[in-house]
Amino acid sequence: MMTRMVMQRIGIGFATLWVVSVIIFVATSILPGDVAEIVLGQSATPETLAALRAELGLDQPWYVRYFSWLGDMAVGDLGISKAGGATISSLIGGRLGNTLMMAGWVSVISIPISIALGLWAAMHPGTWLDRIVTFGTLSLISVPEFFIATIAVLVLAVELHWLPSTAYMTGEESFWELMKALAMPLITLVIVVSAQMIRMTRAGILNVMSSPYIEMAILKGVPRGRIIMRHAFYNAIGPIINVIALNLAYLVSGVVIVETIFAYPGLAKLMIDGVQTRDLPLVQACAMIFCGTYVVLILLADIGSILSNPRLRNPK
Amino acid sequence: MKDDKSPPGLNFRDLSQADKDLVDKMVKGGSGPVTRRDALKLAMVTGVSLTVAEQLLTNGKSVMAATPKKGGSLRMASNLHGPNDTLDPIVFTSTIDYTRGRVTYNSLCQIGEGLVANPDLAESFEPNQNATEWTFKIRDGVTFHDGKKLTADDVVYSMRRHQGENSKSVIKSLLESVSEWKKTGPLEVKAILSSPNADLPGLMGLYQAKVVQEGSTGGGIGTGPFVMESFQPGVKSIHVRNKNYFRDGPNLDAVEITAITDPVARVNALLAGDMQIVANVEPQAFRQIESSSTAKLLSIPAGLQMGICCLKNSAPGNNNDFVLGMKYIQDRERIVKRVLKGKGTVGNDHPIATAHGADYCSELPIRPYDPDKAKFHFKKSGYSSAELFVAPVMSGIEDACLTAQANCAKIGFDLKLKKVPTDGYWGAVWMKEPLNVVSWNMRPTANIQLGIQFAPGAAWNDTYWNNDRMGELLKLALAETDPAKRHQYYCEMQTLVHNESGMVIPAFSNVNDGLANNVMGIPNVPTGQVGGSEWPEYVWLA
Amino acid sequence: MTQQVTSKKEEEVIAELDSFAELPDSPPKRKFRLTWVGYVSSAVVAFWLIICVIGPSIAPFHEMDMEGDDSFLPAYSGEYGSFYLGTDYLSRDTLSRILYGARNTIGISLAATLIAYLIGITLGILAAVKGGWIDMGISRVNDAILALPTIMLGLIVIAALGSSIPILIGTAAVIYATSVFRIARALGQDIMVQDFVEAAQTRGEGIWWIIRAEVLPNAAMPLATDFGLRLVFVVLFISSLSFLGLGVQPPASDWGSMVRGNLGGLTYGSYAAIWPALAIASFTIAVNLIVDDISAKSGGSLAKKMV
Repeated sequence: MMTRMVMQRIGIGFATLWVVSVIIFVATSILPGDVAEIVLGQSATPETLAALRAELGLDQPWYVRYFSWLGDMAVGDLGISKAGGATISSLIGGRLGNTLMMAGWVSVISIPISIALGLWAAMHPGTWLDRIVTFGTLSLISVPEFFIATIAVLVLAVELHWLPSTAYMTGEESFWELMKALAMPLITLVIVVSAQMIRMTRAGILNVMSSPYIEMAILKGVPRGRIIMRHAFYNAIGPIINVIALNLAYLVSGVVIVETIFAYPGLAKLMIDGVQTRDLPLVQACAMIFCGTYVVLILLADIGSILSNPRLRNPK
Repeated sequence: MKDDKSPPGLNFRDLSQADKDLVDKMVKGGSGPVTRRDALKLAMVTGVSLTVAEQLLTNGKSVMAATPKKGGSLRMASNLHGPNDTLDPIVFTSTIDYTRGRVTYNSLCQIGEGLVANPDLAESFEPNQNATEWTFKIRDGVTFHDGKKLTADDVVYSMRRHQGENSKSVIKSLLESVSEWKKTGPLEVKAILSSPNADLPGLMGLYQAKVVQEGSTGGGIGTGPFVMESFQPGVKSIHVRNKNYFRDGPNLDAVEITAITDPVARVNALLAGDMQIVANVEPQAFRQIESSSTAKLLSIPAGLQMGICCLKNSAPGNNNDFVLGMKYIQDRERIVKRVLKGKGTVGNDHPIATAHGADYCSELPIRPYDPDKAKFHFKKSGYSSAELFVAPVMSGIEDACLTAQANCAKIGFDLKLKKVPTDGYWGAVWMKEPLNVVSWNMRPTANIQLGIQFAPGAAWNDTYWNNDRMGELLKLALAETDPAKRHQYYCEMQTLVHNESGMVIPAFSNVNDGLANNVMGIPNVPTGQVGGSEWPEYVWLA
Repeated sequence: MTQQVTSKKEEEVIAELDSFAELPDSPPKRKFRLTWVGYVSSAVVAFWLIICVIGPSIAPFHEMDMEGDDSFLPAYSGEYGSFYLGTDYLSRDTLSRILYGARNTIGISLAATLIAYLIGITLGILAAVKGGWIDMGISRVNDAILALPTIMLGLIVIAALGSSIPILIGTAAVIYATSVFRIARALGQDIMVQDFVEAAQTRGEGIWWIIRAEVLPNAAMPLATDFGLRLVFVVLFISSLSFLGLGVQPPASDWGSMVRGNLGGLTYGSYAAIWPALAIASFTIAVNLIVDDISAKSGGSLAKKMV
C-alpha cells in the first residue's frame, strides 16, 4: 500500500515538474525583453542585438528552444547560462550547497525550539505565558522580514560589532568562523521560521485536545502532561511534520530577501537574478530543483504522518 | 605614473599633460590648504572652471600628502551582479565588470583625473595632421599573466572585436569612425579613421576597450595589476598582486570583488567594517556615512545625467510647448538639495555638466523653476495630463520625478508616474515609451557625451531629435584646434539641445561611493563609480 | 516567501485536524462571544477600517507633498507645518502617508484575500466533488504554482503586466488562492465521504444542494481560521515586492514600501520606518487575535477547562 502510494506520488511529481517547466517557459517569454537585450542593456543597438541573439540561438522558434531544453534536461544536461556563458551546473553547484547548509542549520536550531515552545504553550493555554508566546510569534510574523533583518544588522553588526553584517564566506574558515559568518542570516531565519512553527504546533495540539478521545482521557483523570505527550502530541505529529517539511521547502526556495540582505550566495537569489536577466535555462534549472524539493518533502511528510498515525496506516 | 610625451596638437579637453604638471607643481610648491588664488590661477591657465580647479588642487594635495603604503587587501562591494557577470571586456555593462576589467586588463590609454587620456599599454600615441590616422606605440616588455608577451597582434585582435557585423561589442557604434586597425610593427598599431577624430585616445580609455590575448575573449588573463585567482559569477572574485606588472604595481596584495545588491545592506556592510569600498551609495545614506567614525563618503562631482526623455517622434513630446512645460516645472535647486542631498549640480537640459570643465557653457543661463511659465506652456500644448515611465535606473531619479509630479499637481497638470522594473527597461521602455527616464554616465569628452545622444541618427538618440546643425557642429568641434572657437561650438550645441531637444535634465548627480576611513589614493575620475573604476592600481590602506 | 509556506502549513494542519475533530457530527452550533482581547482587537480593526475611509480627509498633508528640504526629521512644528510623526527620506509627512497608505495596504490585502478565497474555494470544492481529470488538472497546476517561490511569481507577473493596483490584487489573489484551494479540496473530500452527505445523496439531492447545504457550512469554520494568517501573508507579499522595486505605484503610499524606503533612517534615530511597521503589525495582529478568539471559543473549550 505504501509502495503504491510512493510510486503514485513520484508519477504525480513528474507531472508537476513538467507543468512547472511549461509555466516557467511561458512566463519568461511574456516578460518584456530577452536575455540579449538585458546583457547589452542601455548599450544595445539593433546590430549588436542581432549578433548576440544569433550567438545564443534566440532567433530559433519557441518550440525548438523548449524541446531542445527538455531533451537536454532528460539526459541530465542543465545547459549553459545564456547571460554569462557559464555552465548552469557550475553556477548552481556551490549555491545549492550553501542553500542546503543554511536550511540545515536553521532547521537544526528552530525545530526543537519550536516544538518545545509550542508544546509548552499548548500545555498552558490561556495563561499569560501562553499569551506572550502567542502575541510574540504573531508580532514576528506580522512585520516584514527585511525589517527584522535590518534591525538585527544595525544592532548586532553596526552598533555592537559582534557579528559580520554579511554572510561573507572565504571557503577556508574554521567551523566557528563559518558559524560567525552565517550567524546573522541564521538568526533572522530562525526567528521567522520558528514564529510560524510555534504557532502551528500550539494550534495543532490544541485542536487535537478538543477531540472526543482526549475528552475521554481527561474525564478518566489522566494527568494533563501525560495526555499531551502521549495522546495529543502523537496525533498532532502528522500536521507538525507537514509544517516542518513546508518550512524546509521555504528555506530552500523562498529566502530571497534574506539572501539579498546578507549577500548570501544561495539558490533563491540566483533564480531571481535569472528571471531578471531572462536567462531561461538558469530559471528552469532552479525551478526544477525547487519543485523537486517540494514534491519530495511533501512525500516524506505524508509517509511520516502515515507511519505515526495508526488510523492513517490502516484506513477503513 | 611616468610622464610620457604628450602628443602635439592634441586637444584633450580640460587638462593636458602640461596642465597636469602645473597642478603637480602648484600642489608640491605651496604648503597649507588650497587657496582660492591657486585655483583661480589654474583656472585661468588651463581654462577649466573654478570649481574643477579647486577640486583638482584639493585632491592633488590629499593624494600627495601621504606616501602610499604597500600591502594589505580589501573587499569591494559593487551594487549589481549576477550570472551575467563576465570577463569579456566587449560586453562589460556594470560597475562590477568595469572593476574586474581594470583589475585584470589594461587599455591602450587610461582616463586620468581631469578626464585626460593618459598612456597605458600605449607608450605614446600620435595623430597624423588632420587626425584621420592614429599611431599607437605599444610598451615593450609587457607580459600577460600567463607569461606571454604583449604584441601588436593582441592589440589589433582586441580592437577588431569591436568591428564587423557579428560584433556584439557595446561600444561598437562609438568606434564606428575607425575603419581599420593595422599592425605596422611588432609593437606599433595604426588606427585608420573614416573621419577625423581627435578623441580617439579618450575612446581607448573606455571600460570595454581593454586589450585581451589574441584569440581569446578575455577569460581573466590580461596584463593588469592583479592576477585572477578565482571568479564565480554573481558571487565574488579574488585577485592577487601581479608581481610582473609593467608599472610600479599595485599597493595591495589582494582584492576581493563582490556585490551587495540591497543599498541599505551595502552601506551597513561598510559601516560594520565587512567591506572597505562600496559602490553607489544612495542619497538616503549620505548622512549615515558622514556621521560614521569608521567610513567616509567619496563624492566626485560628475556629469551623471538624470534625464527625462520626451520622444520627439510621438505625442506629447512632438509638441514643443509640452516639452517646455516639462522643463520649466523642474525645481532644479530643490532636486539637488532634497533628492541628491546636495551631492550634485543643477542641469540645464543639456548633457554637459560643470564637471566637463571648459566645454561647459557657463554663458547659457540655467532655466529657472517657473510654475507660471510651465502652466502657460502646458495650456498652450493642449495637454492636461501625461504618463511618465520611471525605473530606478540611477539613485534619486524616481524621487526627482516625484518632485516634478508634486509641482505639476500644484499647477493642475496631472503627471502620472508609471513605475517599471529596471530589468527589461532598456529594451522595452527606453526609446520606446513617449516619456521615459534615462541615465547616462559621464563620458570622457563633451563630444562623445553630446554625440551619443544628439548626433542626428545616432543609435542612442533617445529623444529622436535630429538636427542637422547639431551634426555639423559635432564634426566642426572635433576638428577645431582653437580653444575659443571650440568653446563657441560647444556652447551653440548646448543651447540647441537646451532649447529644442526633447531632453529634460534637471540635475547631474555626483558619483557617490563609500570608503572605509583607511582607504586612500582613489583617483578622482568622474566617469563612473569609485573613481571611474580606476582605483585598483592606486589604492592603498593607511 | 514566508507566507507561502505557512499558508501550506496552515492548510495541512487544518485539513488534518479537521478529520479528527469535528466532522462525524453535523455542523455544530457556534456562538460568537469575544473575550476582552477580542474586543480590543475589534476596536483596532474598526479604527483602521475607518481610517481607510476618512484617512485622506483628516491627513494634515497630501501623501505626495514634500515640505522642506531636510529628510528624516523627528516630530516637530516649523515653518512648513506640524509633523506629528516626523518626515521621511523625501521630507514627506509620515503621519499623512500612513493615513493615506491605510487605504492601499488594507484595501489591497483584503480584496486579494477575499478573491483568493473565492477562487480557492470554488475550484477546491469543484475538484473535490467532481474528482477525476478535473481534479488532476487543477491540482497539478496548483502544485506547480505552490512549488515556486511567491516573490518570483510576483516578479514575473508584475514585470510583464505592470504594477497597477488591480494587477497587484489579482497576482496576490491567484498566488494565495493555491493554498486556499488545497484546504478547500481537502475539506471537501473529507466531507464528501461523511455519512450525512451519503445520506443526502441517497435522498436524491443534487450536487449543488449538497455543496450549499452540507459542504460549505462544514468547511466554513476551518477556512475562516485561516483567513487571518492569509491576510498577513498578502500584506507581507506586497511589501516584499517593494523590496524588489515593484509594488504600489508612486506617489501612492503603502505601509510596506514605507518601511522599506525609510530603513536607512534607522541608524540616526528616525522613526520613519518604525511607524508604518507598527501600523502593519497592529492591523494584522488584531485580525489574527479576533480569529484566535473565535476559534478558541468554538474549538478548544475543553482544553481551557483543563487549566
